[in-house]
Amino acid sequence: MKISLSFQQVGSGTNGKQTGIPPARELLQNRYTHAAKAMAGLLLLCTLLLLQQVAAAQDSATIYTTQVLSPSHDSVRTQAIGRLAALRIPATFPLLMAINDKKLYLLDHKAVTIDAKPTGEGTYRLYTLYPDNKLLTNSSGQPLLLPLSALQTVDIPRGDRLQLADIAPLLNLFSNDAQKRILAYSQLKNTGDTATLRILQAALAKESNADALRTGKDVLYAARLYSAGNATNAKAYIDSIGDNWSDNAPVLLRNYAKNNAFDKEVASYAAAKAVSLEKRYDQLQRVQNFFSGLSLGSILILIALGLSIVYGLAGIINMAHGEFLMIGAYTTYCTQLLFTNVLGIPQTDLFFLAALPISFVVAGAMGLVLERLVIRHLYAKPLESLLATWGVSLILIQTARLLFGDLTAVKTPQLLSGGWQVSPHLTLPYNRIFIIVLTLLMVLFTYLMLYRSRLGLQIRAVTQNRQMSACLGIETRRVAAITFFIGSGLAGLAGCAITLIGNVVPDMGQTYIVDSFLVVVTGGVGKLAGTIFSGLGIGFFTKISESFFQAVYGKVFILVFIMLFMQYKPKGLFPDKGRIAED
Amino acid sequence: MRTKTNPLYYILFIAFFAILLPAGYLSGFLSVNTISVWGRYFCFAIAALGIDLIWGYTGILSMCQAFFFCLGSYGIAMHLLLKKTVAAGAVLPDFMAWNKIETLPFFWQPFHSFGWSLVLCLLIPALFAFVVGFVLFRSRIKGVYMAIITQALTLAMWLIFLRNETNLGGTNGLTDFNTILGYNLSSSSVKLGLYMISFAVLCAAYFACYYITHSKFGKVLQAIRDSESRISYAAYKVVDYKLAVFVVAALLAAVGGMLYLPQTGIITPGRMDVKASVEMVMWVALGGRGNLKGAVLGALLVNFLYSICTSLFPDSWLFILGFLFVITVLYFDKGFMGLVESIRQRLANTRFKTPQTTL
Repeated sequence: MKISLSFQQVGSGTNGKQTGIPPARELLQNRYTHAAKAMAGLLLLCTLLLLQQVAAAQDSATIYTTQVLSPSHDSVRTQAIGRLAALRIPATFPLLMAINDKKLYLLDHKAVTIDAKPTGEGTYRLYTLYPDNKLLTNSSGQPLLLPLSALQTVDIPRGDRLQLADIAPLLNLFSNDAQKRILAYSQLKNTGDTATLRILQAALAKESNADALRTGKDVLYAARLYSAGNATNAKAYIDSIGDNWSDNAPVLLRNYAKNNAFDKEVASYAAAKAVSLEKRYDQLQRVQNFFSGLSLGSILILIALGLSIVYGLAGIINMAHGEFLMIGAYTTYCTQLLFTNVLGIPQTDLFFLAALPISFVVAGAMGLVLERLVIRHLYAKPLESLLATWGVSLILIQTARLLFGDLTAVKTPQLLSGGWQVSPHLTLPYNRIFIIVLTLLMVLFTYLMLYRSRLGLQIRAVTQNRQMSACLGIETRRVAAITFFIGSGLAGLAGCAITLIGNVVPDMGQTYIVDSFLVVVTGGVGKLAGTIFSGLGIGFFTKISESFFQAVYGKVFILVFIMLFMQYKPKGLFPDKGRIAED
Repeated sequence: MRTKTNPLYYILFIAFFAILLPAGYLSGFLSVNTISVWGRYFCFAIAALGIDLIWGYTGILSMCQAFFFCLGSYGIAMHLLLKKTVAAGAVLPDFMAWNKIETLPFFWQPFHSFGWSLVLCLLIPALFAFVVGFVLFRSRIKGVYMAIITQALTLAMWLIFLRNETNLGGTNGLTDFNTILGYNLSSSSVKLGLYMISFAVLCAAYFACYYITHSKFGKVLQAIRDSESRISYAAYKVVDYKLAVFVVAALLAAVGGMLYLPQTGIITPGRMDVKASVEMVMWVALGGRGNLKGAVLGALLVNFLYSICTSLFPDSWLFILGFLFVITVLYFDKGFMGLVESIRQRLANTRFKTPQTTL
């Protein structure tokens, strides 16, 4: 590898000022000023010379860049690329990156590169390469989108590109793709090479992605920390690492404290920092658990609402209720197929919006069919209905397996992918937020239906006393059928929501059915408030006990808890007041 | 019992399974596998008798019989595995060595001795049933609530047995045994012996249950089924009766499990998942609940059907089972025995039928 004279001098200059490193917060300022300040005490003349050399390096970069783009001869380009690779001037890295990735194009005689992936219409966003690396915009400030055909491809021969092999890991720091940059940053871990750090700093100065910035800063601070010359600086870097708080930070600090600490005090400082970071992380983890408990509870509520109302109203234990969840999920899957394959609406979130009502109606309709064929013969015979509907659930599962195979997945709508990043270590996924909101709406809907509508009045009347309601002219069978429709529909809706967080498999209903029955039992049959409370309670309890024990023991724990709870409240959380003889 | 049972049916039943099948095997018509398979069905039938006692006669739908069945199986399996390990000169069974466990867990220790294993196989399920039953019956949990809670219990236990840390073999269960009390499990004479023992135990269990249901105790059980409040007003301690029958049912399931293990040579948590526990109840429902003959026949028939259907058309077994569930519950409330009964009443004149063994 060729190393030019100017580079060596800049390198020695930075080596010379090692002791004078400022705290990390200011590190991203122009390093040349720092270099010059450090040198000033030693040799003013040398500083002037150095600045001259830097300017010269920039000039030569411009010259070489021009030579790469419009070479007078192939050999000139080869030489220019070689020089640029050896010079390692950060400003030229985007260009070199584009060469290495074979994504160098010309637009109006200016070098540009493109995004890794095209947009929906097959066009690309464009970035300038030298002297600055920016997203190209059109006159109205929107990103400029062009198809490949509008660009002039610049072919760089393989031999020329091979000259970049040595600096390839560094090039990725300037990639358009944030994931690649994160990877590149993390690959620089444990590097102590000042020249590399210089480039890292340059890359960080123009970093726009928060995750990448955090990873990069972590690497940089760690390197600075290991080469820190005194305790104050070391502590400052430890603070910086703590403030930056990457995933790796506690491990890094702990390793530092164990092996390379400057002195005992710094070591204990680093260790304490690591502990406090972990503690804060645990707290956030708890918030995260609370949140997933909330979303699990929401799903349980959605399923248990239907179960509870139907059981209270008609004395039916519907073991096939979980299968309506499965039907809802498969309806969502079919809607997706319909939208993408048959109607040809690609890449939109529309299908999910449509799937919500469709899955409600389809699952509800299946519920009606089941009610007509099986359930209506079993009113007020809970144990018999339990066995018969178990048989139905076997049939439904096997049908789904024959129709769809064992595993299918619904694509999460783009609107709901990602999450709300409350802090670096606490992300609340949008899909779970969506499920919670959906549950809220459905609970509201159920409440209005039960307590603010004529149908609700009838449902409550039949739940209380079937014969009496019939005497007063309520068509109890029709009310039961409508209730069954709504209950199954709610399960279908839950199934549609579950596609956001899991796969669609034929026996997906079975995983939730026992839990949701526990919700019904704990909440009390036919009680809206009881269902909500016990659903949330069981959801939270599951997630919280999962963080203490393992998932399995959490489940056992909940069961024991419910059994003890039933000692006090055998009729659930909100039992009916009054005395009703049983037989 | 509503009708007097003709002793001829018992004799036919016993003659068929105790003489005809073994004779068929000895004369070479039947393979030893067929014998062994029927031996397993007998074990299921023993457990089904327990379910009939608690569900058919007492009206408590317990969904954790499959778990008690597995407790019995696991106990014997632990004993057999330890015997094999010791014979091979090792200290720990293979799967524990793979899981990097250094010493034998304390609850494995007593299973070195066959006698202790037998005692524990019965004691643990009985104790478990006692504690669970006490807690549940005391707070007057019954009907659907009982079914759901016992089901959840089975689910929780299934999850625990699936884990590797519990040192019970995890998902793979316990398998690969070679001898029981020094006899080689793979030899056909041992298989025939186990078949005969299972059949003898089934007959004994049947007559014990017959005795129970026809005693005063059994009458109280049926009274609890028909009207729990009234029998408690009549100063019977319902909780005690329920608890007793729950423990008896658990014991029967465990005995079935103990005999089941040496004949299959493997026990996995899959035997006690939600599906298995509902299926066990379904044997009784299909055969005819509240009828001991029905329970035995239901277990034998469903399992026989299962082995036929899964080999002939594997995809449709769940359909068949599902339809059987639905149709039985909807139309044949009394199960297969009830069907036979009603047919017999219609054809009151024709007496020569052998309903037990034909379908």
